[in-house]
Amino acid sequence: MLNQKDLRPKDLGRSDEQLIKLEPNQLMPLLPPYDKPGMEPALTDPKPAWREKYCTSLDGYVGIDTLTRPKTKEEEDEFVRKFLTGLEKIFTDANNGVLQPLLLSFDYCAKCDTCSAACHIYEASGKNELYRPIFRSEVLRKIVKKYFTTSGKLLGGFVGADIDVNWETIARLGELAYRCNLCRRCAQTCPLGLDNAILSKEIRKIFSQELGIAPTPLHAKGTVNQLTTGSSTGLGKPAFLDTLEFLEEDTEEKFGIKLKFPVDKKGADILLFHNAGEFIAWPENPVAFAILFDAAGLNWTLSSDIIGYDSVNYGIWYDDAMAKKVALMQMKAAKDLGVNRMVMAECGHAHKASAVVADRMALSDMKVPVESCLPILWEMVKNKTIKFDPSKNNFPVTLHDPCNVVRQMGIVQPQRDVLKAICPQFREMTPHGVENYCCGGGSGFAIMNYLNFPQFRDSVASRMKFNQILGAFQGVMENTSIPKYICAPCSNCKGAMRAILEHYDATEKFNLQYGGLVELMVNAMVSLKKPFFEFLEE
Amino acid sequence: MYLSVIAYLSILLFVGISVYKVYRFAKMPMHGRMELYPLPKEMGFEHGGSFYEEVSWWSKPHKVSHVREIKEMLKEILFIKKLFENQRPFWWISYALHLGIYLIMAWTMLLVVGAITELNGIVVAANSLSIWGLLVFHLSTITGHLGLLLGTLGAGLLILRRLFDNTLKKYTTPQEYFNLLLIFAALVTGILVWSSDLSFHFAREVTAKLISFTPFEASTLLTVHVILVGIMLIYIPISKMSHYVGKYFTFHTVLWDNRPNLKGSSVEQEIKKASAVRPSTTWSAPHMKPPASPKM
Repeated sequence: MLNQKDLRPKDLGRSDEQLIKLEPNQLMPLLPPYDKPGMEPALTDPKPAWREKYCTSLDGYVGIDTLTRPKTKEEEDEFVRKFLTGLEKIFTDANNGVLQPLLLSFDYCAKCDTCSAACHIYEASGKNELYRPIFRSEVLRKIVKKYFTTSGKLLGGFVGADIDVNWETIARLGELAYRCNLCRRCAQTCPLGLDNAILSKEIRKIFSQELGIAPTPLHAKGTVNQLTTGSSTGLGKPAFLDTLEFLEEDTEEKFGIKLKFPVDKKGADILLFHNAGEFIAWPENPVAFAILFDAAGLNWTLSSDIIGYDSVNYGIWYDDAMAKKVALMQMKAAKDLGVNRMVMAECGHAHKASAVVADRMALSDMKVPVESCLPILWEMVKNKTIKFDPSKNNFPVTLHDPCNVVRQMGIVQPQRDVLKAICPQFREMTPHGVENYCCGGGSGFAIMNYLNFPQFRDSVASRMKFNQILGAFQGVMENTSIPKYICAPCSNCKGAMRAILEHYDATEKFNLQYGGLVELMVNAMVSLKKPFFEFLEE
Repeated sequence: MYLSVIAYLSILLFVGISVYKVYRFAKMPMHGRMELYPLPKEMGFEHGGSFYEEVSWWSKPHKVSHVREIKEMLKEILFIKKLFENQRPFWWISYALHLGIYLIMAWTMLLVVGAITELNGIVVAANSLSIWGLLVFHLSTITGHLGLLLGTLGAGLLILRRLFDNTLKKYTTPQEYFNLLLIFAALVTGILVWSSDLSFHFAREVTAKLISFTPFEASTLLTVHVILVGIMLIYIPISKMSHYVGKYFTFHTVLWDNRPNLKGSSVEQEIKKASAVRPSTTWSAPHMKPPASPKM
């Protein structure tokens, strides 16, 4: 094992059992009240059985559960050969959709290292060399130079082609691609406009599109499941309709509101697209949407068509072909229903996948315009279509900006305007808006709940966000009688929030709560007779 | 004579290869949207937002300010704004090199202008009676002295920083030291040649001879200097130092391109064209294979 300070990109080819080990005392310190010893769960070593089966040789964590050790030398060689074939393909017309941005980011890095300070994982790890954004990019460059450039073949180490390439190198690189949340914060600071996240994603793509290796929750139980059952949650149409019925009854019972989810309403103006995970994990969110949309008199519907009720598109994190299949099917569901617009509910990556990534996948005839729920929600408040009483939300609230919605789509203001209007104790995190930090759950981390990966996510990837939350609530954190609410208008971010609050036992210890934006809006509705939040009930 | 050939050839190749690179990037297939906010051209959303903050955004005009985009580009080109904002200590030395290069480019042009002026019988000197001659003289002196000084200092300090910074040295390949050393050597030989010619009279004479293909006695130092500058000019566009080409595309066509694919838009036309291209390479994972056609 190496001291992380001595780690160099070419060390990825070393034969060590594990390159580096994270030490708790090296991680970025947490703010009070989490600055005291014993407040944080310990970091653990991978089990010996995992070492034998998976690639734990990077930092001890397993990000790709389908990447298993080869049994024979032939298998090992085949793996390396296939990876190299895939690597060559990313620079060909098989990869036209990203060729120009990829080549720019690949060719022009001046190694000024401006990006490191922007990366929440690098900073949270206590500036661990392994997680420096250019570390991974540089490994990739070294391999490409070694095998595919004349200068690399002739001049070798002089141009940086000095890395040993074996199973361990490639597997570690694959793992390292899952130590980046693809949040693209580093690209905002690059003086040359380069984007390390593109290179991380290309590595993930080679693994999936050429080697057929991707984390199970993203591929087999993600996109594949979605394309066959209708949802990555496995929620089929009958179960989806049952869930709606249950929620209608539950809402009437709890709040006396007679709710009827409109389903497959032909000619509706809006097709509201939820992350189907909401119906299972946070059903109060789709309920709150329904209450608000009805109260505002919007002509809306849900779809029960296959893939029409799940807005997720995990393909955008690891596989272009799967992303396209999912996006085109979602477009078709909306088109078939004859709606005027697809409105994305509170799911960040679904926002970007449908509005931005899929935008150039089809001609406009095949599409229905995609818009975010956030401007619509702000109009309800601004135009006073619904009456709100801000005093009902009189507890500290902070806002988490989902990267996909804010940095990558430019929807910054509407959600803040809503909060400023209905939450008297709203306070920003630092930094926020387009300069926000990722929740640590981005690009699949939030749903990769296997082996020891959650430990990396909760202790490192989400660490910066947790500190931002603690920072926003300084002064009220330790008063447990005051609920403190993290508004995270994104399913994936909520998944990450749920995980860190559990990891740090923060709801139990400090009354730290989380949820979406619509829940706060419904809670503030004058017409609502009792609090919408359970934590406000006496 | 051969020095003239080197001078012309290297400038020609510098421009030619750079233009070719621009052409190659410009001709690349349309890519998916990858914009990153804040986008300077987005009008009405100066807080970093976009048209997506509007309800029914597609039914409203997408207001774009090219002036703001150009202003932002100029701030990057002239001042390396992102480095200034995000890594100030590095900016000082990087900017010294870049500003030095800009000034040397200006100085070179001024030498050509000065040489032509003198060939036309107008004196370029501190005691010139012509205002033009005076102007060219002073501008040449200022740009030349400052440019050579800043450029050499910047290149030298960048080498030292890479050598002695524990992080940067891990990521710097020998070739990248070579890149900086080449610039440094070209500039240092320049300083050695012109240090005995502070008013650049001799430099103008040499320039006049170079541009008019007039043979002249060149010292070894001058010969080495011209050859080094020639190599540098040819090498820059083929190496990654051609980031002046890349930077335009990374910002203009990747990070700042949020043109939506609306009916009748230019983007739609580009998509139509791109969709007609059938890739010659395909991916091999099982799920990437097209489904087998049903048996008859």
